[in-house]
This record gives sequence, structure tokens and C-alpha cells, in this order.
Amino acid sequence: MAIILKKICMIGDFSVGKTSLVSRYVQQSFSDKYLTTVGVKIDTKLVTLPDQRQAKLSLWDIAGSDTLTSASMSYLRGAAGYLLVVDGTRRPTWDAALQLRDAVTKQIGAKPNILLLNKADLTEQWEVNDALVSQEREQGSTILKSSAKLGMGVEDAFTLLTLRMLDAN
Amino acid sequence: MRTIPLSIIKYVHAWWMSELILTYLHIDHDGVLVSWGGHPRHYGLFNLETNKDAIEQIPFLEGFLPARYTEIIEFIKVGSGRTAHIHLVPFRGGTWVLLFDATAEHDRQQRMQQQLNELSILTYRQTRLLQELETVAKQLQTDKVHLEEIAKNKGQLISNLSHELRTPLTSIASYSRLLEDTSNQDYVLNVKSNANHLLALIDNILDQTQLESGNITLQVGNCDPRLLLKELRTIFAPLASEKKLTLALQATSQLPFTLIVDELRLRQILINLLNNAIKFTISGKVSLILDWQQSNLMFEVTDTGKGISPDALEKIFLPYHRETNQQNGVGLGLAITKQLVELMGGEIRVKSMLNEGTTFSGFISTHTGMRYDNDEDADISSQNIKVLLAEDTRSTHLLLVTYLKESGYTVLSAYNGAEAIALAESEQPEIVLMDMQMPIMDGYSATRTLRERDFKSPIIALSASDLIEDREAALRAGCSHYLRKPVALDILLNIIKVLQA
Ligand SMILES: Nc1nc2c(ncn2[C@@H]2O[C@H](COP(=O)(O)OP(=O)(O)O)[C@@H](O)[C@H]2O)c(=O)[nH]1
Ligand SMILES: [Mg+2]
Repeated sequence: MAIILKKICMIGDFSVGKTSLVSRYVQQSFSDKYLTTVGVKIDTKLVTLPDQRQAKLSLWDIAGSDTLTSASMSYLRGAAGYLLVVDGTRRPTWDAALQLRDAVTKQIGAKPNILLLNKADLTEQWEVNDALVSQEREQGSTILKSSAKLGMGVEDAFTLLTLRMLDAN
Repeated sequence: MRTIPLSIIKYVHAWWMSELILTYLHIDHDGVLVSWGGHPRHYGLFNLETNKDAIEQIPFLEGFLPARYTEIIEFIKVGSGRTAHIHLVPFRGGTWVLLFDATAEHDRQQRMQQQLNELSILTYRQTRLLQELETVAKQLQTDKVHLEEIAKNKGQLISNLSHELRTPLTSIASYSRLLEDTSNQDYVLNVKSNANHLLALIDNILDQTQLESGNITLQVGNCDPRLLLKELRTIFAPLASEKKLTLALQATSQLPFTLIVDELRLRQILINLLNNAIKFTISGKVSLILDWQQSNLMFEVTDTGKGISPDALEKIFLPYHRETNQQNGVGLGLAITKQLVELMGGEIRVKSMLNEGTTFSGFISTHTGMRYDNDEDADISSQNIKVLLAEDTRSTHLLLVTYLKESGYTVLSAYNGAEAIALAESEQPEIVLMDMQMPIMDGYSATRTLRERDFKSPIIALSASDLIEDREAALRAGCSHYLRKPVALDILLNIIKVLQA
């Protein structure tokens, strides 16, 4: 039996940690050095869910931007779900994520997604306040905290998104 | 290897550069890889096998096949391969996928973009730093003005204080002497009232010193605000009737029956305000209204007294400030009141018209008996609390686990009623979250069994149903609370906190 393939896009402003989250998830590694992503980098990962179901993920790490560029629109094709990444230490990346979500929905329809508040290890520089988060959660958004640096919440986010994508079938 | 059709050659021609070797994949209309050529491994594509499904071997083509029109996807990098521009060209129902090396162009753009992005982050951080500096500078400036004012007033305080202490002390001393030979009731009362006055004075000075040094901590507990009003009436009714003032102390119907608040300090605030109001009102009415709006306790003290001039209003909350020398005290009451209100997360304002009266109004932030939403509290109180989650839907399960862990709880996972019973008995969790619809054994039976076996911790029912019957069935089975799915996270956390307290 062929393992089911799901395409996941990493969406968010630049330098929020999209590339870092993928490399933490796929290679269990992290680097402090920032290297801008141009275009898209694709990795695959075989994931086994808590209920033993398996899926092959095609992870599209897209160049960061606070708006959807025409190039990123074609990258979105065929995506079954996406992670919206926010740098918790830069408030504008939160607003960008919410706008990007609308734009992505316009482009490929409503798909399972999770908003990740990344860099959760840098609490003293935190700029996204809890009231904002609870308000957005009340609207039905799933919002999790993560740190690609410490490996915190990364696996959970990808697993939850995969579950949602499989259940959406 | 097959030959390349002419139309493809023509297409390629437009893109051809001598140093590039064409890498291509030909995929038919069924998605089968028919042929390939060039160096796909340069682009991270290994072990390609013809006559097999293309997507399985080249997952990134998901969603792009078959191509309906010619399309270019720029700057794609697969794994650790080189970056390519990928051209998808439709051909007889199938697709030709052409890969052109774009590494040089990629690296050039990356260098440029890197500089731009780094600059943009730097600018952002710089702006934030400047903003912070500005706020700090402003704060320092107001602190400075404030301190100067206090310093100025403190000098005044010394003379006021000595005067204030001297008068009653003299009085106490002389009446005490009289007490030695008579035992007149009036003399005793006089000694008592002067002594009380001294005590209140010294308490205020102590409070102010502690507030200034940040040494006051709030002792939060349960408080019945209506009982508090009754007490205040007992304290002030004699004073008011002596001056023939109407005293109206009221609570609105919104006011909860229990507040979580430092009752002692709340009482102190209200006593100070009422005391002032009665003191400066010759005739008419003094009223206090307590109300509840948006999780805040609202208070309003109004009098029909002589009012306060606009100049004086500005300084009324400053410590050691006194409007007139005829005034009793050292001018700390309102300063303390304001600082206490702010310490309790509130604000106080004053409005006044000369010869018409004065209103002090404001709020303090408190909780009703049913809400705890202080985050710091949550972190401390949720530590070492075990929550058993019985929920079979995997995604809901994982989401709740993640949220609960984020709030500091230790989570035990069960996916049906039988597992829930086993875990509840072996781990003795403080709280149980029980989905009502589960396979093998549902939440109703599991709850019933646990209660029969004398399991005491609260069980919160989670259910997709909004029917009254289902709610009643869950409560009858022994659940302590019933929440409808999807569960609002804030509500769930609040209930857990209240139950565990
Ligand atoms: N402290 C901290 N730094 C992070 C984290 N994730 C990413 N970074 C850093 O943030 C910068 C941008 O990360 P990157 O993954 O390239 O962001 P992208 O542009 O969204 O792909 C890099 O310097 C990373 O080292 C995190 O969780 N914590
Ligand atoms: Mg990146």
C-alpha cells in the first residue's frame, strides 16, 4: 500500500524561523546563523502518528514575506495544510501571519493550519501579548508556542497538522 | 533513452545556454515516469525508475500534474540538491518537466535579500530600543517631578506632624491627670478619641512609608461585598446622623456575592473616601455605590459638600499635600487611597464643583468567586497537578494535551473509558476531563464506575451534544461539570483552576 502523501507549506514573514522549524523537525538540528531563503526548499519526512497511521510529508519552506508574492502562489498549489509562523519577539510578524492566512485561503481555499508562535525561548523579548492570542483562539484558530532552538513544540505542531490533514479527507 | 520531441527541443532552445546540460523528466497522462535524462541527482532526485508512479518518486510535483499550460516554478531546491528553475510543459496529455540550474542566480539574489532582511530587522530592533529609551526617559522625568514634590511636602510634614502629635498628646496628658482623681466618663472618652486619632495618624504614615518603598503586598481572599457595606454603615451611620446627613450605601444587582480581593485594603479605601466625604459635607447627602463591570469592582463616593477648587484637584492625590491648614491630618489619606487602588490594578478619579459637591470614582480589578485568571497564579498553582484526559479523537486529544501542558499541567492520556478507569485508579489525578462519546467504554459508564469505586476528584464531561438530557445524564453519572465541544480553552482552564482550588 502506498503511503499517503501530504504537502505542507511553511508560511510567514522572513526570519520568523520557518527554515529552522523544518530543519529541527527533519534533521533535529538548529543554527543561530540566519540564512535568507530564496525561492523554496523542499524536504520530505515520513511521519508515524500516535495511532500508528503513516504519512509522507512534502515540506515546502517558502521564502518569507509579509504578503503573498506571485511566485509563492504557485508554491502553494497542492498544499493540504500549512504552518503559519510568527516570531513572538516581533509583533508585526503576527499581523503579517493573519493577513497571509486570508491570502492563502483566497488562493487555495480553507485548509488545516496551525499558527506557531516561534522563538518561545526568548520570553524576555516577547511582543505578542496573551490577550491577542486568546482572542484569536476564541475565533477558532489553533495557536501553539514553539522553539526551533530548543526543539519545543515542533514535533507536536507537525503531528497535529498531519492529523488534521488526514482527518480532513 | 528515447529521443526528445521537436516541440520540446524548440522550447528548450529559447532557454538554452551552452554551459547547461538539460535535465528532464517525461511523465505521461497517468502520472507514470516514462523517461528521464540529464542529471536529476544534481537537483536532489535519486534512484528514478521509469514506468513507475512519478509523484511517489518526486513528491514535490504533487498538485502540479498533469501540466495544463506551460508553467515555470522558480528557485526550487530539493534536499541538498542544486537550485533549479522548473519548467512544466504539457505534452499529449502528459508533462515534460525540465530542470534548469539556477544556483548562480539563486546565490546572487540570496546575497541581496539577506542584506535587505538583516537591515530591516536591525532597523526594527533599533526603533524598538529607541521607543523603550523614550518611555524610560519619560518615566524618569515624571518620577523626578514626583520626588521633588514629595521632598517639598515632606518638609511641611515635619512641622504639621509635630503640631498634630502635640495637640492630642497635650490633651491626653492633661485629661489623664484629671483621671487620677475623678472618673468622669467624658474625660475617658476624650482620652480614647485622641488616642485613636493618634493611632490612625501613625498608621497612615506607616502605610505611606511602606507604599513608597513598595513593601505592601496584597492578602487576597474571599470577601462578601454586601457584608462589607453593612459594616461601613455601622461605622459611619453615627457620624452621619450627628451631622444630619443622609447616608446611602448601595450595591447594584450585578455585584457578585463573593469577590476575590484583599478585603482589608478594600475596606481601607472605602473608609478613607467616606470619611473625607462626611468630613467636608455640612448638609445633604453622602453616598457610596458598588457595581460590577467587566470583571472590575466599580466604586463611586459622592457628597454634597463644599467642593474642591480646580487648582487643588490637581494635587489632591499627592502625599503630604494639604489644602488648608485648618484641615486635620497630614494629607496622606487620599494619597494612600490612590496608591492602594493602583496596587489593586485599578484607577481612581475625582470630579468636583465648588459648593456643589465632589465625586470620587474608580475601579479595582478583582475576580468573582468563579474566576481566577491571574497568569502568575496559574503557573504556580498548576505545577504538579495531574490532569487525566480521556478523549478518543486524536487531533482534539493532542490539542488539549498541548494547551494543558502549556499551562503547566501534567497530562495523563486515555483514549477510551476503560483506559481512563485504569489510569484514574493507578495515578489518582486531581482532575479528569472525560469525553462522553468514546469507543470500548463511553464516558458515562466510565464515570459511573469510577464513582462507584469511590473516586473523588472532579470529572469534567466533554461532549458534542447540547441536549439538556445529555447534560443531565452526565451529571447523574457523577460528572462535576459539563462542557460542550469545541471547548473554549479559557473556560476550561478557569474551571480546572477553580476545581483544584
Ligand atoms: N532564539 C531562537 N531563535 C530562532 C528560533 N527559530 C529560528 N531562530 C533564529 O531566527 C533566525 C531566522 O530563522 P529562519 O529559520 O532562517 O527564519 P525564516 O526566514 O522564517 O526561514 C535565525 O537566526 C534562527 O537561528 C527559535 O525558536 N529561537
Ligand atoms: Mg527561511
